[in-house]
Amino acid sequence: MSDWSKVTRPIPVPDEWTKPFWDAAKRGVLELQRCQNCGDFQHPPYATCVNCISTDLKFEPVEGGGTIYAYTIMYHTGDQRFAGAVPYASIIVEMDKAPGAFLPGNLLGVPYAEAKVGRRVEVLFETLNDDITLPQFRLAQTTSTA
Amino acid sequence: MWDNRCKIAVSGVGFSKVTRSAETPLAAHALQAVQAAVADSGLEMSDIDGLSTYPELPATGHAEVDGVSIVSVNCMMAMLKLPDLSWHMQVGSVNIGGAVQQAVNALLAGVCKYVVVWRAMHNPQGTYQNLPGSHATGATQFTGPYGFGGPGQGMAVAYTRWLEKNNQNREKMATLAVTQRRHTQNNPDAYFYGTPLTREDYLSSRMVAHPFCLFDCDIPVQGAAAIVLTTADRAKDLKPAPAYIAGYGQRLHFEVAGRIGSLSSYMEGGSSSSKLTWERSGFTPKDVDVAQIYDGFSASVIYGLESYGFCKEGEALDFIQDGRMELDGELPMNTFGGSLGTGRIHGLWHIIEGALQASGRAGPRQVKDANVSFVGASAPIVTGTTFIFVGDPY
Ligand SMILES: [Zn+2]
Repeated sequence: MSDWSKVTRPIPVPDEWTKPFWDAAKRGVLELQRCQNCGDFQHPPYATCVNCISTDLKFEPVEGGGTIYAYTIMYHTGDQRFAGAVPYASIIVEMDKAPGAFLPGNLLGVPYAEAKVGRRVEVLFETLNDDITLPQFRLAQTTSTA
Repeated sequence: MWDNRCKIAVSGVGFSKVTRSAETPLAAHALQAVQAAVADSGLEMSDIDGLSTYPELPATGHAEVDGVSIVSVNCMMAMLKLPDLSWHMQVGSVNIGGAVQQAVNALLAGVCKYVVVWRAMHNPQGTYQNLPGSHATGATQFTGPYGFGGPGQGMAVAYTRWLEKNNQNREKMATLAVTQRRHTQNNPDAYFYGTPLTREDYLSSRMVAHPFCLFDCDIPVQGAAAIVLTTADRAKDLKPAPAYIAGYGQRLHFEVAGRIGSLSSYMEGGSSSSKLTWERSGFTPKDVDVAQIYDGFSASVIYGLESYGFCKEGEALDFIQDGRMELDGELPMNTFGGSLGTGRIHGLWHIIEGALQASGRAGPRQVKDANVSFVGASAPIVTGTTFIFVGDPY
């Protein structure tokens, strides 16, 4: 299992488009930007809807689980801050209720080899400091789907 | 078909010494490559009246210093002081293939006669791809905190998707790495010339970012390549046999910065750019005698072969087996060794090899009777630039 205890993660800096995402994460809620015109979710947040160019965008809570769309296992120790966790899984997750929005994360709590395309995951929250909480993922604890 | 089919040709190619580290400034490498290309064409430097490049430094977290880590048009002109310079261009997107295509357009417009295009690549000290520092801003705020964005990871995620969706096995990629390294032994300018690679070396290699092992990644180097382009009528009077451009295409994969797209959306850059090239040239994948497919990371070859239409989706790793990519195979491929053999000089070397094969100038690695020569000059997963060269402009 990857040991994250000695890793110092770069701290995300929210900007005008991304602040609601990070504010929600701090409350322990995953919120993603959704187009109020066509209904598409998108991530990262952006000034317009990537699908229909509407600017009527709001952040909405996204509940339930997701699926590992793709992943990589990092072995290279070029960045010493992450050397303690190598090898570790960086995953791309597609949430059931926000198809088409791909969220990067790490797969926590299980050996990195458990990362596989199509595996069910759920969100958990990792506090980085007083301001920033990071959405993360673990294997789904229940078998329910959307 | 394109009205300008075979009206522009490549008439000279050149390389600098390719070294692992920056022993001499990058400007010296670029100058050496440009001088070699002009000498190959038989022209005098003073004949050159057009300059074009794509000066980007792909290494993240390193400064762009002109002459040291990039070589801009400004830097080149300061060295060459061309008396008749009448056109210059520095592209900011689309990659080096776009710089070549802009040169084609300028020649067709009649605003210059002989253009030299170069690509100079720097290998900075330390880690090539750096994660953000203590804070992650912009698009990296969603990737950097997860240790995502280091060497190869961006390409690796698409590869796991492709492998597992298609129930494929990364060990089949050994054929690509080993065959290309064998091709490299016919290319004295390549970084890995003189260094063989066995299937066992590949299979026992250390992992970088799964599914990529060390030999799936082109080695960062310091070096440059250059080509001379001119109009077909002028090319006939020059020393080398011309390689005529039968068609080209370019399309970006249009995507918001930092957004991770689906594998199929990533393939779009390759399929849409090659569609233009097939239509303009009048050729189809079945007509191709030899192909250079961008291989900065090995998996780019998969996306290239599939999005350009050489094989069906999910079949690329099977397609390259059984000797198909050998010099006498059904589709000789990356005959100069690819980026995996030459070192990281990006797609200009693929373009050069495509031209050399079409004009019968590839020496010991020449594919017999090659005429229709295809080039995918960039990872289709990001941008697509494709070309077809022919030696016989029928
Ligand atoms: Zn919309």
